[in-house]
Amino acid sequence: MGDLVIEGLVKHYGPVLAVDNVSLTVPAGKLVSLLGPSGCGKTTTLNCIAGLERPDAGVIRVAGTILTDASRRIFLPPERRRLGMVFQSYALWPHMTVFDNLAFGLRLQKVPRDEIHRRITEVLELVGLGGMERRYPYQLSGGQQQRVALARAVVSQPAVLLLDEPLSNLDAKVREQARFWLREFQQRLGITTVYVTHDQAEALAISDLVAVMSAGKVLQYGPPREIYERPATRFVADFIGATSFLDGTVSDRSDGLLRVRVGGEIELCVTHALARQPGEPVVLAVRAERITLAADGDTVNIVPGIKRSQVYLGSRYQSLVETPAGTLRVETAMELPDGKVRLKLPPEALVVLPPEEGS
Amino acid sequence: MTVTVEAARPVTRRSLDLPVQVALAAATVALVFFPLVPILVQAFSTRPLYDPVRAFTLSNFTRVLSSGAFWSVVGTTVAFAALTTVLAVTLGTVLAILIERTDLPARGLLNSLVILPFYVSPLVLAFAWAVIYGPQGYLTIWARQLIGHDPWNLYSIPGLAVVSMVYYVPYTYLYCTAALSLSDPQVEDAARIAGAGPLRAIRAVTLPLLRPAITYSALLTFVSALELLSIPLVLGTPAGIRVLASYLYILGIAGGRIDYGAIAAISVLTVAIVTALVWVQERLVSEERRFVTTGGRASRIRPMQLGSLRWLAFVFVMAYFTFAVLLPLSGIVAQSATAFLSPLINPLQVLTWENYRLILETEAYRRSIVNSLIIATLGGAIGILFMAFISLMSYRSEFPGRRALTYLALYPRAIPGIIVGIGFLWAFLLIPGLGAVRNTIWALMAAFIMRYIPLGFGAVSPAILRISPELDRAARVAGADWLGTTRRILLPLVRPALLSGYTLLVITFLKEYSSALFLFARGSEVIGTTMIELWRQGNSGPVAALASIQIVLTLIVLAASSALLRRR
Repeated sequence: MGDLVIEGLVKHYGPVLAVDNVSLTVPAGKLVSLLGPSGCGKTTTLNCIAGLERPDAGVIRVAGTILTDASRRIFLPPERRRLGMVFQSYALWPHMTVFDNLAFGLRLQKVPRDEIHRRITEVLELVGLGGMERRYPYQLSGGQQQRVALARAVVSQPAVLLLDEPLSNLDAKVREQARFWLREFQQRLGITTVYVTHDQAEALAISDLVAVMSAGKVLQYGPPREIYERPATRFVADFIGATSFLDGTVSDRSDGLLRVRVGGEIELCVTHALARQPGEPVVLAVRAERITLAADGDTVNIVPGIKRSQVYLGSRYQSLVETPAGTLRVETAMELPDGKVRLKLPPEALVVLPPEEGS
Repeated sequence: MTVTVEAARPVTRRSLDLPVQVALAAATVALVFFPLVPILVQAFSTRPLYDPVRAFTLSNFTRVLSSGAFWSVVGTTVAFAALTTVLAVTLGTVLAILIERTDLPARGLLNSLVILPFYVSPLVLAFAWAVIYGPQGYLTIWARQLIGHDPWNLYSIPGLAVVSMVYYVPYTYLYCTAALSLSDPQVEDAARIAGAGPLRAIRAVTLPLLRPAITYSALLTFVSALELLSIPLVLGTPAGIRVLASYLYILGIAGGRIDYGAIAAISVLTVAIVTALVWVQERLVSEERRFVTTGGRASRIRPMQLGSLRWLAFVFVMAYFTFAVLLPLSGIVAQSATAFLSPLINPLQVLTWENYRLILETEAYRRSIVNSLIIATLGGAIGILFMAFISLMSYRSEFPGRRALTYLALYPRAIPGIIVGIGFLWAFLLIPGLGAVRNTIWALMAAFIMRYIPLGFGAVSPAILRISPELDRAARVAGADWLGTTRRILLPLVRPALLSGYTLLVITFLKEYSSALFLFARGSEVIGTTMIELWRQGNSGPVAALASIQIVLTLIVLAASSALLRRR
């Protein structure tokens, strides 16, 4: 068992560049999410791994076996890659029972009959569908179909598991349970997994590593915490979580703090990106839930503002606050007072980004 | 569960995908070009194909194009086809709106009655109309006695056009019904709410929405009528009316010195013109897809209230069916069982089995029925599988030439049946080693399959396109190659479409005659060619018997197929 390595992957559809020089290493046994809005190239990348699309350039290999090498004209057809895949629609074959759906790949691999029975019983047990062998797909609920699709993908013990938005067809409630369950399942099998989703919460919840994609490129690749707390670009910061952006200029650098002037009078301290020089233009990103109402004694990183509107989210309040530095999204447990407010933006909550690189 | 995950390793097993795909594509190319090449070569040759001393020439074309007979035939053909198209499209559209959109009683029944002529051979329809409306026809004699002279002349261009109309009405009807069932009935409701009466709503909203379907079926009918042989041959020949197809038939069969060059030149010209028309037709479809108003959501259609006109409309549709379809078909069955059919004699006094005895006791006639059945059932099965595979390659494979293959598969529409027959005959005569096949039913089977690739392709493709591509992708990832995916996933899923496509081919092959006329030989007769032979000898009784047998066989196939489809 080894890593899944993608190097320099490029795929055009006519004039459209769907995947633009993507390189990724999925460590063995880890779950990596490809996260991005629709049309960002995540599904195309997945299909290239599966062999359902033929890339224009790039290399894909698993544990040293080359699946695709465009420059050497190597392209293994999907049926010879030994992968497991779960499709968005599940793609259960409607004319076959659950058993036959699962046995399809095993029979093609000439696995002995007893072994087929043993493995299918085992894997159905594992996904909590023991005894459902004789059912047809239409006799199952959406959640059950999704688990059959997963069982079918892993029953042939593939080297890599590919998941294409497998939870997007489930109800919101079931989807949240399925997240936990899927993560547990993947960790129990220890199978190298690539997971495609446009749902940032889902990606953060279940991944070892997240690759945020946009316009065919990987913008940032790292553990969920890093993606969330230290977004590398404005797009990543904006796509994940509720984020406000403040344009500013570095004014000073001392005592392990960077000072950034925003909205004329206000100076904010930042605890990282200390390589920035005074006078450099920057953008500060701040998560809505990291902003708090300032206490009376607080003097550092205070931004005054006026509350404009507020929505109740169930457990928290989200407010829009107009400040001299721009409009801030603020998420708090307690309702913000109407009218004038003093907000605190903690130094460690501010992320310094390069100025405008195009959304 | 202990999971032993092995690394992906290339399996060395060789897949048959590419060889099979190449073989299928090669078979399609061969089938489509097989009849075209000898015709093209002959058209530009000074001497017949079998003559080794030939030279290139354009004289065949100049001879044909400067012949007055040819131009008069062209004029007749265009007039006949145009009149047929106007009649069939008008009636088809009216029937479609009445049956699909209004509260006409018994709409389900009327629907099946209107479609019925689609399954009847135009040859049988021609004979059947002659029995009732011909100069010695049952109703003609009856009317003559009543008013003293013939009220109509079936053996005229309008007469031919009316009979052909009956045959072509289902085409327009089916296209318009499909378009109507796709469009949202709320657009008519909106017109009504805006203050339009029912007729105004139809004129202002329904008809414009139907325009693509009407244009498409008009072109389809026109193209098809241009090459129609049976009705002009049977009903036009006695009056000296000649269209392109019957002209070609007479040129080729007439005996004596056959002018191969002229036949080939006329064929090339016809194919060129029809190709252009088919191309226009295709352009129209792709241009006007955007006219469909919704994605076909199954909103329950509330029919338009016709009020007091409701029963009048019902009587109109029933009268059409009775006089155009039911009466002629009953007439031909009655004629087959009587020595002489006339309003002057009680048919029960002249009941006879003689016609059937002649058909069943004469070896060549009996053989034509058996041959038709074998070609229809076996050829239909081979055909539909072949056509399904072509469609699967076109829409569900990475075969490099799949787009070209799609065009090629649809091209036989542009080759009239009689020209298919001429081409196959010449190809068989010319290519050494194929002489043995030439006189067998296999030759006919190949020609029929080639001619109807577009039909089977069109019957199966929508079902294939409806299957989510993720289903075959899942099979590929699970380790099946293209052939395995096709056999295990796609073909089982399109089984209902395969069965109805097969039914369509069986019925079509049962009634096919035009591509067999030049090709059949002693031993490979089919029902259609025998009917024409018997008709040429003036044996109307046995013709009627054979026609009745064909009608009954068609009904049996239809009943069996719908029983099978319902059981699933």
